[in-house]
Amino acid sequence: MTVIQTAGLTKQYGSLIALNGLSTTIGAGITGLVGANGAGKSTLIKLLLGLLTPSSGDAAVLGHDIRTQGTEIRRLVGYMPEHDCLPPDVRAIDFIVHMGRMSGLPPNVARERAADTLRHVGLADERYRLMGSYSTGMKQRAKLAQAITHHPKLVLLDEPTNGMDPASRDDMLTLVSKIGHDFGIPVLVTSHLLGELERVSDNIIVLDGGTLLRSQATSAFTEVTGVLLVEVLGEDQSQHRMGEALAAQGLPCRPRGSLIEVDPRGLPEPAKARDTIRDTAVDLSLGLVRIQAEHGQIQDIFRGEPARG
Amino acid sequence: MASRTGGVIHDIGYRPYEGRRLSEGSIAWSLFRRGYLEAFGIGRSARAKILPMTMAVLMLIPALVIVSVIVLVSLAEGFLNYSTYINIFSVGIVIFVAGQAPVLFTRDLRSGAISLYLARPLPTWAFALIRCASLAAAIFTISALPLLLMFIGAVSNEADFTDQASDFFPAVLSVLILSVILASVTGLISALTTRRGFAVGAILISLWVSSAFVTAVQAIADFNRMDGLSQFVGLLSPFSLADGIQSGLLGGTASFLGSPEGIGMILLYVVSSIVLVLGSLLLLIRSYRRKAK
Ligand SMILES: Nc1ncnc2c1ncn2[C@@H]1O[C@H](COP(=O)(O)OP(=O)(O)O)[C@@H](O)[C@H]1O
Ligand SMILES: [Mg+2]
Repeated sequence: MTVIQTAGLTKQYGSLIALNGLSTTIGAGITGLVGANGAGKSTLIKLLLGLLTPSSGDAAVLGHDIRTQGTEIRRLVGYMPEHDCLPPDVRAIDFIVHMGRMSGLPPNVARERAADTLRHVGLADERYRLMGSYSTGMKQRAKLAQAITHHPKLVLLDEPTNGMDPASRDDMLTLVSKIGHDFGIPVLVTSHLLGELERVSDNIIVLDGGTLLRSQATSAFTEVTGVLLVEVLGEDQSQHRMGEALAAQGLPCRPRGSLIEVDPRGLPEPAKARDTIRDTAVDLSLGLVRIQAEHGQIQDIFRGEPARG
Repeated sequence: MASRTGGVIHDIGYRPYEGRRLSEGSIAWSLFRRGYLEAFGIGRSARAKILPMTMAVLMLIPALVIVSVIVLVSLAEGFLNYSTYINIFSVGIVIFVAGQAPVLFTRDLRSGAISLYLARPLPTWAFALIRCASLAAAIFTISALPLLLMFIGAVSNEADFTDQASDFFPAVLSVLILSVILASVTGLISALTTRRGFAVGAILISLWVSSAFVTAVQAIADFNRMDGLSQFVGLLSPFSLADGIQSGLLGGTASFLGSPEGIGMILLYVVSSIVLVLGSLLLLIRSYRRKAK
């Protein structure tokens, strides 16, 4: 199922190109949109909502053209902006009911669903409080509630974990995962923290300076890279001696913390590296604690180390 | 059914909704209604109710006194004048508008809620117009309610119905015109800033200065028998504009000295009001369009 499709989508502000010829397809499940600040994530979301007009290129959201069918799109989509958007002098329950009505829910449905939604995001006990008294984490959850209360066919979440402490960040990501995987609503979620969305996303899109750097399944980012991490145990600079010995046999390696990073990828027979490591440890009378295959991380593609593929 | 005690996330099972969704018309009505109530502080914090409720009551008190006098002394006629009431007590309207226009316009910008509205089905232009309609209806309510009270008091106390009605209805119409002018002008002012204090100050100053200027120039012009100048100056304040239309066109009693005379001048008053309202609304919509970006 194609939820979002873009073709050469470009947005220019004067001479600044905020989004540069983005062509990608986004399907069901959770898609993480990552990139540093200024990469063009919010610009893409506003284009998809039909709030910004593209400079060139096209996109369709749930089959609707973003240039001509903005109203249709905004009927079907839920949106959580990155900045503050809650009036402080209103109770959460009243606000979520109102926002449900603004999305077209009949009055009684809006009321029922607002109570349900606030329970889902963990604000059941605080729903009668003025939102001005909420903590950052609670505000983020109320913002999320207004985005899903009308049962949208797609939710766009712009930096939902922004400004939160690690514990609430974790709770928020759990909620995002619940929306995408349990409620079955396709999610496009952004973050400027590159590694953060690995845990919840099925697919990852990486933007850098408005340009698409990578778009693929999360597993493709995190599969084994071919690099081996080695830990040895012994007396008198065992790690150093082991490293020297491996290098002497032509295995490229370097220390990484208390481990040795061995990169056999450029060798004619990389599969033989494990045997070489084992033999070398025996020769030096060192205890071989482990040989571990390294898994890729999204950050790696910014270090110029190809995560393969 | 899972529940994380200690934590805050409860899973009570998600219910999708595939039922009926309302048209933009119903959404618009719902937004109008809520905006109208919020202008009186309803659906907001207790503190937010103080100013609008106080002004609404203060606007009613003179009318209550008048009605009591009518009833007690059995005074029937020549005592009350619907069309000058709002100009005599205009300070109440000015304070209400200065306090509540920012509630409907500045507040959405300051809190950022505007981006939630603009990401929903109602188009930007409709949102701007509905906000104005809520404010106009609120202004109309606090200005027309005292007139209604006096009308009911007089009629139920043996005053001649046709007599009263021929004064009452033009006055109500002029209050409506004033409400629309005030709502669009002060709505625009409030939508240009995210600082409530600025909006309140700018509205107070622009309404008071324009009213005082018109009154002063008209007094001088009247003294020097410069009727033309007096009538032209009346175009410069919302209150004299609405007053001119009701006295010139609807035959009510004028509160300002330079009531327009002659079809040309009356037409100028009408056209000026329309231009003022439409111009303000267009600028308001343009400023909201920019907010979406
Ligand atoms: N309204 C605007 N006018 C001019 N430049 C803008 C505007 N909005 C965003 N930009 C610029 O476009 C680029 C992308 O911004 P944005 O989409 O907000 O990035 P992100 O959300 O990834 O941090 C940034 O360089 C930003 O400064
Ligand atoms: Mg952003």
